[in-house]
Amino acid sequence: MAERRRSNGSSNESSSSSSSSPGTAAATVCRIPDDHIFSILLRLPIDSILCFGMTCRRLRSLTYSDALWESICRRDWGSSSVDDLIKAHDPSIPIAWQNLYQQLHQLDSVYCRRLLAAAAPATPPAPDMVPSPRASHSLNFVSGCLLLFGGGCEGGRHRDDTWVAYMGNDLRRILKWQKISSDIPSGRFGHSCVVVGDSLVLFGGINDNAVRKNDTWIGRIVLHETSGMTLSWRLLDVGSVAPPPRGAHAGCCIDKRKMLIYGGIGTSGVRLGDTWVLDLSENLCFGTWVEVVTHPSPPSRSGHTLTHIGGTRTILFGGRGLGYDVLNDLWLFEAYEGCFWRWLQLPIDLQSIPHGLSLPRVGHSATLILGGQLLIYGGEDSCRHRKDDFWLLDVSSYRQPIITLPRAGLLTQMWKRLRAVGDNPMCRSFHQTCADNSGRYLYVFGGMVDGVLQPAELSGLRYRGCCKSVKLVNSSSSSF
Amino acid sequence: MIVLNSSDGATFEVEESVAVQSQTIKHMIEDNCADTSIPLPNVNGVTLARVLEYIKKHAEAKDDEEGLKSFDAEFVKVDQASLFEIILAANYLDIKGLLDLTCQTVADQIKDLTVEEVRAIFNIMNDFTPEEEAKLRNDHAWAFE
Repeated sequence: MAERRRSNGSSNESSSSSSSSPGTAAATVCRIPDDHIFSILLRLPIDSILCFGMTCRRLRSLTYSDALWESICRRDWGSSSVDDLIKAHDPSIPIAWQNLYQQLHQLDSVYCRRLLAAAAPATPPAPDMVPSPRASHSLNFVSGCLLLFGGGCEGGRHRDDTWVAYMGNDLRRILKWQKISSDIPSGRFGHSCVVVGDSLVLFGGINDNAVRKNDTWIGRIVLHETSGMTLSWRLLDVGSVAPPPRGAHAGCCIDKRKMLIYGGIGTSGVRLGDTWVLDLSENLCFGTWVEVVTHPSPPSRSGHTLTHIGGTRTILFGGRGLGYDVLNDLWLFEAYEGCFWRWLQLPIDLQSIPHGLSLPRVGHSATLILGGQLLIYGGEDSCRHRKDDFWLLDVSSYRQPIITLPRAGLLTQMWKRLRAVGDNPMCRSFHQTCADNSGRYLYVFGGMVDGVLQPAELSGLRYRGCCKSVKLVNSSSSSF
Repeated sequence: MIVLNSSDGATFEVEESVAVQSQTIKHMIEDNCADTSIPLPNVNGVTLARVLEYIKKHAEAKDDEEGLKSFDAEFVKVDQASLFEIILAANYLDIKGLLDLTCQTVADQIKDLTVEEVRAIFNIMNDFTPEEEAKLRNDHAWAFE
């Protein structure tokens, strides 16, 4: 193609005066309005955009435009991520989008900090002031608050308490936990709890009589001016169809009012491989469960993660399969307009990833952070070792608006192991994490460390950019 | 039938139902500016003929997805200058499908090319000094790992 084009236009010399053929493309590319050059550039990967901008001065200044880079950030990270970032930022300082994109692209470490639950760290907090240690609970960020429910503790006993801590927009060093309610919903662990709009949707779980559940609950936080926070839990009316009871499944919100669940351990301890979608009515008054049956579909498992990465796509990773083996497969779930669903396996080449052989995981956490990447932390590997490592999985190429994914093998994910600096995050599994609205901070609570439950300390994680991390923190113009 | 006049005086006849794929023409008709013929001073004859070929095909074979796909693939096999002229015309005439197709084509041409190859394909003159160019490459090295 290129050959034919060159023979049609003038000579190849980039500095030619093109006197041989008038009205050549040299003039035309400059006549195209900026908007259309942008819409061409937005279909390209970053390195091609930058190449384009390195051709001449005019195009360089065009590709340095903040408007273009904000669009690129939206394209690669998702619009809601960018909107949240704008909301959390000082409006008088314009955001340097290209700089931010570059920093996130070069992300190589996380900064961990243990958060304190009392003003005086020396005094042990009273038992009703902080949530007790637990694992397989749920932790969510909703309405500016951290919300924790249930979980299992020593002796295999379940918990049924709900705790809330108001966070706002910034990472706070000291948390004020407030116990909201007890015994509703009934105690359980291994349930799933996801944020849908302003509410929480909780499903299933196991209680300490090993009874698996399949009830669905809606929780709403209301912040009052004077009386502080109240939370209401109510049982959702789902009619006669519901997924079989289970625990240790995974769930996530895939649309404004839809929740996806997959797998888990069902009654009599069998691992499940079924996919269900809960369709909620407006005002979340009732819901309808629909089973999604497609081929292929991920093999049965428990202790895996489901993370919505934007648009119509959700990523499933790891877990423990039917043969009690720890899995490392990666699957993509696509949901179009609620009528076309499919699972697609994404190939992983463990050999090509540094330290990749430690990747099979169960009881890990996978959270979407700023930059549209998945932060995977902890869990157990195939040798039943608890891990304390952080992995970044770049899923931005799966968020592109492409109708058909290219042939398997052409799309390779990028796995990167991050350094952890600051406080020791500890080796843990069956902990819970959630990110705040800006996607810059990740909260971790609980989990199990080598058979012993972790002391009930909440840890906060903050990311930092590349090797210049010290500069970033000190620099007043940095938006991190 | 609608009559369209290109910038260089060529005249084209096209059915109204086909022509309204162009939002610009559609609004002109709705606003009753199209009594005898519609002047299109921003599009030359050659380009207008090509654009009309596109919208005629997309009107008559509307449901034939496979056919349209192969038509589109052949349609964009033109030289650089003509492709840009079509982009400008599709923009002026506000024909979304054609704009998407041509922008995607240009994007596909740029993808995976080096800076020198991009310059060659678009006949862009390099007006950087060697030092400026070296600095640019250095600044952007992060994206090319």
